Amino acid sequence: MKKNLFVALFTSIFLFSASANAAVDATQAENFVKKVTKEGIEEIINANVSQTVKDERFEKLFNNALDLNFIGQFVLGRYWRTATAAQKKDFINAYRELNIKTWSKRFDEFKGKNFTFKGTSPSNSANQIFVNSLVPMDQGEPAKVVWRVKQTGDKFKIVDIIIENVSLAITARNEYTAYIKSAPGGIDDLIKDLQNKTKV
Amino acid sequence: MCGKFRLLAACSLMALVTVSCATQNDKNTSGIPQEENETLESYNRGMFKFNYQIDKYVLKPVAKGYRAVTTPYVRERVNNALANIKEPISAFNHLLQGEFKESGINLSRLAINSTLGLAGMYDVAGGWGLQQSKAGFDDTLAKWCVKDGPFIVLPLFGPATPRSTVGMIVDAVTNPIYLATLDAPSSTEDKVSYGYTAISVIAFRESTLDLLDDLERNSVDFYTTMRSAFLQNRQNKGCLNGNENASYDFDFGYEEEDQIFDEMEAD
Repeated sequence: MKKNLFVALFTSIFLFSASANAAVDATQAENFVKKVTKEGIEEIINANVSQTVKDERFEKLFNNALDLNFIGQFVLGRYWRTATAAQKKDFINAYRELNIKTWSKRFDEFKGKNFTFKGTSPSNSANQIFVNSLVPMDQGEPAKVVWRVKQTGDKFKIVDIIIENVSLAITARNEYTAYIKSAPGGIDDLIKDLQNKTKV
Repeated sequence: MCGKFRLLAACSLMALVTVSCATQNDKNTSGIPQEENETLESYNRGMFKFNYQIDKYVLKPVAKGYRAVTTPYVRERVNNALANIKEPISAFNHLLQGEFKESGINLSRLAINSTLGLAGMYDVAGGWGLQQSKAGFDDTLAKWCVKDGPFIVLPLFGPATPRSTVGMIVDAVTNPIYLATLDAPSSTEDKVSYGYTAISVIAFRESTLDLLDDLERNSVDFYTTMRSAFLQNRQNKGCLNGNENASYDFDFGYEEEDQIFDEMEAD
């Protein structure tokens, strides 16, 4: 009896997620992430060019591969609705700069490591899909890296990266909404703080 | 020794009571960490600050010193040996979870690495395809569907939940080092267990130096970042592990927000 209920529940969840994702091409989404990681490893990490060129290439790859406008609005949560157009723009730019700076510096840690792709999983959000991958660590078990990919027409963009179950977008959303809630200047304080972090 | 047991029993009882009282989780149905209750938050933030100062002036400098006097090769040997000691804990917990094959792998790894791997310094078994697979009592409780409870910052131990605290205590008393020194004279017992604990803590802190520094540097609210990441990371432990995307499968509410965004871009 219980088992039947479970099967029914499972089937409905499966059907629901399958229908929600009818629009996403799983193979293409996976190929897109493969291409991005391959470009990052071959043309940036392993390339024999100066750090400045590497940073430039990284910025370009980052902007092409990620949908920062989409991520930015998720990250601001309910404060997105009340923010002015100028605040939205400033926030997204500051958030973009900070991420580019952080990741271009840490990118070299992936040297000599190759992602192993493990297929895709459906998402409850329309036009989105999860691409699963594993990356070897210096020690211990490999880390689970999941890419949340959004399809618009025939274009793909990464909208979240989940490392060992920790979503970068959710973490940033928790952090920024908590910050805005307690900051006297609200979202303007946040933007200023983020800008200061990229200057150092 | 009796005193030690009594203390442990008291701690476990306290933690179990907390677990059973913890009906409210800090996550919503899709696993996204929620805002916490204000009393708990102010205690947690206070304790987080306290731990941060201790880390800054004691633990972190020691971990940096350890890094300065060792090579990556040496540190890997130390980490392997420490992991090898914990292999029986994983075997025990895999057994409790009904994962008999994994449990067998843990024991085989222990046998192979303790001998051919020179007291666990070399992961010979890993090279033979017997991959490391850790499990602690916290994982076992999760498999048994025990609720996690709210996020709490423990003095010195840092981020935790009632369930992870129980897990930590049980792992400590099932640790081979603890069990092996139970019958030893108390001076020897202390030396061995303090030494082992110190090495474990320093080695662990060294391995997280870069990651935590980076997180802190890029964070405008380090406490919230740590809390969020800690709670999310625990999402994979669950009795209904089938739905593995649940934890991070948030919904953007894209239609409504896209519209606002279009208006913004039109400006």
